[in-house]
Amino acid sequence: MAQTNKQLAVIYGDVTLGLKGDDFHYIFSYQTGGPESFRIQGKEWLYRSPKPTFWRATTDNDRGNKFPVKSAMWLGADQFSHNQSVSVAINGQPIDLPIAPENNRYTDHEIAEKVEISYTYLTTTVPETQVTVTYTVEPTGKMNVAVAYKGQKGLPSLPVFGLRFIMPTTATRFSYQGLSGETYPDRMAGGIPGQYDVQGLPVTPYLVPQDCGIHMQTDWVTIYRQAVLDNRIRQVPETGLKFSAVNQPIAFSCLPYTAEELENATHHSELPAEHRTVLSILGAVRGVGGIDSWGSDVESDYQIDAEKDIEYQFDILF
Amino acid sequence: MIPEIEWLDTPAVFREGQLPAHSDHRYYATEAEMALQKSSFEQSLNGTWQFSYSPNAASRPKNFFQTDFDAEQFDQITVPQHIELAGYDQFHYINTMYPWEGHEYRRPAFSEFNQDNFTGMFSAAEYNPVGSYLQHFDLDPALQNKRVIIRFSGVEQAMYVWLNGHFLGYAEDSFTPSEFNLTPYLKAEDNHLAVEVHKRSSAAFIEDQDFFRFFGIFRDVTLLAQPETHLDDLWVIPEYDVNQQTGQLNLQLHFSGATRRVRVTFKDQENLLFSDELTSAPTVEQHYDLEQPVVAWQNERPYLYTLQLEIMTDEGQVIEVIQQLVGFRKIEIKDRVMLLNGERLIINGVNRHEWNPKTGRTISDADEAWDVDAMLRNNINAVRTSHYPDRLSFYDRCDQAGIYMMAETNLESHGSWQKMGAVEPSWNVPGSMNEWEPAVLDRAKSNFELFKNHPSVLFWSLGNESYAGSVLEKMNAYYKQRDATRLVHYEGVFRATEYKDTISDVESRMYATPDEIKAYLDNSPKKPFILCEYMHDMGNSLGGMKSYIDLLQQYESYQGGFIWDFIDQGLLVEDPVTGQSELRYGGDFDDRPSDYEFSGDGLVFATREEKPAMQEVKYYYGTDK
Repeated sequence: MAQTNKQLAVIYGDVTLGLKGDDFHYIFSYQTGGPESFRIQGKEWLYRSPKPTFWRATTDNDRGNKFPVKSAMWLGADQFSHNQSVSVAINGQPIDLPIAPENNRYTDHEIAEKVEISYTYLTTTVPETQVTVTYTVEPTGKMNVAVAYKGQKGLPSLPVFGLRFIMPTTATRFSYQGLSGETYPDRMAGGIPGQYDVQGLPVTPYLVPQDCGIHMQTDWVTIYRQAVLDNRIRQVPETGLKFSAVNQPIAFSCLPYTAEELENATHHSELPAEHRTVLSILGAVRGVGGIDSWGSDVESDYQIDAEKDIEYQFDILF
Repeated sequence: MIPEIEWLDTPAVFREGQLPAHSDHRYYATEAEMALQKSSFEQSLNGTWQFSYSPNAASRPKNFFQTDFDAEQFDQITVPQHIELAGYDQFHYINTMYPWEGHEYRRPAFSEFNQDNFTGMFSAAEYNPVGSYLQHFDLDPALQNKRVIIRFSGVEQAMYVWLNGHFLGYAEDSFTPSEFNLTPYLKAEDNHLAVEVHKRSSAAFIEDQDFFRFFGIFRDVTLLAQPETHLDDLWVIPEYDVNQQTGQLNLQLHFSGATRRVRVTFKDQENLLFSDELTSAPTVEQHYDLEQPVVAWQNERPYLYTLQLEIMTDEGQVIEVIQQLVGFRKIEIKDRVMLLNGERLIINGVNRHEWNPKTGRTISDADEAWDVDAMLRNNINAVRTSHYPDRLSFYDRCDQAGIYMMAETNLESHGSWQKMGAVEPSWNVPGSMNEWEPAVLDRAKSNFELFKNHPSVLFWSLGNESYAGSVLEKMNAYYKQRDATRLVHYEGVFRATEYKDTISDVESRMYATPDEIKAYLDNSPKKPFILCEYMHDMGNSLGGMKSYIDLLQQYESYQGGFIWDFIDQGLLVEDPVTGQSELRYGGDFDDRPSDYEFSGDGLVFATREEKPAMQEVKYYYGTDK
């Protein structure tokens, strides 16, 4: 981590907002609806802009209790919710969105102590609702990410809620401080608190591929990657990116697949070749249930009420 | 006795020429053999057999039992093995529906809808595959000039047996041993053993378990020689006085052959407690009071005593040695609470199918040992043998590990009363049909006689999901009358309430919600309550277990349950696209109709790796420790 008395270099582009410091360079896009690049220690960490995630691959119990029938619109929302607006604040002061020609007022040597970029997404649900994701970047490169879901009357129960990061290549491993094993809100009493290292990106081999790999009550998770897509780079060391809970523990899953990829497979051999790392940092997780697999719902305490607000935040650091 | 192919069609014929069921004790020629657990009286016939597959009875090789039969056209097969896994016939997984659903219209013999028109239902069916097995064997020297029986430990689902051209008998009941006396037709060398196995018979109506539908000789085949005097059956009834911590031993022994001296010794884990000498006779009853306080058998401390019987000539030469492990324990119900050794019993249980992803229900000793170890390390203290008797060795392991057993009879007729989830018992089997009663009662008898000496067996279970009628009522009465030292369990009476007072010592449900359990226990319950199946662990499941564990604190009469279930039933087969071995399930073999992935409900994957949910089981099942 760089020294803390420095300032961020700010590049007021026509399409993006660039932020630079020691060993990092972030690009936040007005066009793709989210950050487009987290380049840290020479390594790119984003494949596509992170988006809110609303879907989990249907579990056997979900299928049995017809949860996806009732909540199907969240599958569309997971795929197609879109960015509605972007706002920027410099040193705590909102500014007019610095796109052309507004950005002609800036120079090639702008600096700031703190930059906030806030993206608001509109869901494709009926009725629709909003999610706002605010990135607050400090001169060290440390970034706070605040995620806010606006509850909306009439929306069906959510499978999951969080922010999904897709990284350009597969992770070599990840480590986290939290509970042992795969845990869910209604199945975490047996999880033993500790620090754990997981090699690769294991997909739990349930007979039919389904949601898996959630880790509840996590203080932090660090994703380690080595391979990059940058054709100039031949040899790169393994480096990590850390996602750290703020105020409340977070939940996460780190898999080689999106929920949609898992959803469509009837066997593991049908899953695509592993190319990416899909990291979901979650603010709410639906329980798995367990009474039976043909109708009984997850206990009400472990369902996610979509009519209520969900807010959480975490830091990204290296 | 002349075999008839129509035996396949009627429930009235299910056991022809078989020896009576008896205790599962092993016997040895010497103490040295016993120490190695290798009896010279036994000869395994496992291995390579000759084999022919036919799609139906009409096309089977009918004369293959004759000694001059030319088996040139026969293939080879490994025994034990499911015929499907040897490369014949279709893999088919189906749950409650009968396996002929959508293929054949069938109503059970003697039901209201088929009083007398069942001949040919299976014997003349276009699709009812037959496996014709041939084995030529020489008798090991140690077995020669003795009475020799053959034991088939598991053959699914109906079987005709011949030796050297002579018909020996017929057996159904896929999951209990079938024994035939070979002695009259046996030669020292070149015996011609013929076994004809039919995939389906009338037994299919009462073997409608939720599993892959296989057939064939899938457990061991063993020759068992008997010395001139032999202990046919042994029932050790240990009685434990909870207050006095004293024990009594009642022995019921049945010998065959010449009258001989029998030395009886009884040891705890250090010392000889007593010895005695008896004289063999067809029936011997003996009673012993133990002088010292006894150590009771229970999960945390599965203390076993050793009873040894040695049959001797007048000169004192030992001709047969039997060792029977004995556990003192008392299971009883007081004030609607089950007590084990005077303390409230808590069932932290699991249901277990026998399964191996490569060999199906033909499992190995290593598989079995792994299963018991997995139970112990995860605080699982009880197992229900869902839904049939297991390999004999599993009961020994549970005795030694302190795992409480619900020993289930091989009975399930789910498709006869529940259709698409709705209760519709218009042709429930066995229901109250007298014609089915002998076959069903025989299954209960086999289960009892085999396993009666196992302290781990706390419950006799009448079967699974078969609804209820007078036949189940008679099974209940059979177990109660025969064995006062255990409880009787049956769940299906929950839906046939008119039998509530005459079937099952416990109120048993499956998949009841915590609120439903409270509703029962809050409204003048008559029986202690257990869940014979709960926490359906299909795929990513097992959430909300706390709500059940909490009930243990709230209700004395809530005494736990058996998680469904232990191991996923998936088959490792090669994926033709990737060339990789992969777990497959129902519907992956063009098998229709199917229940698809519904066989993946285990706490461990089919490959015997623990699912992530297991740590939750370990935690909650450990909370009362």
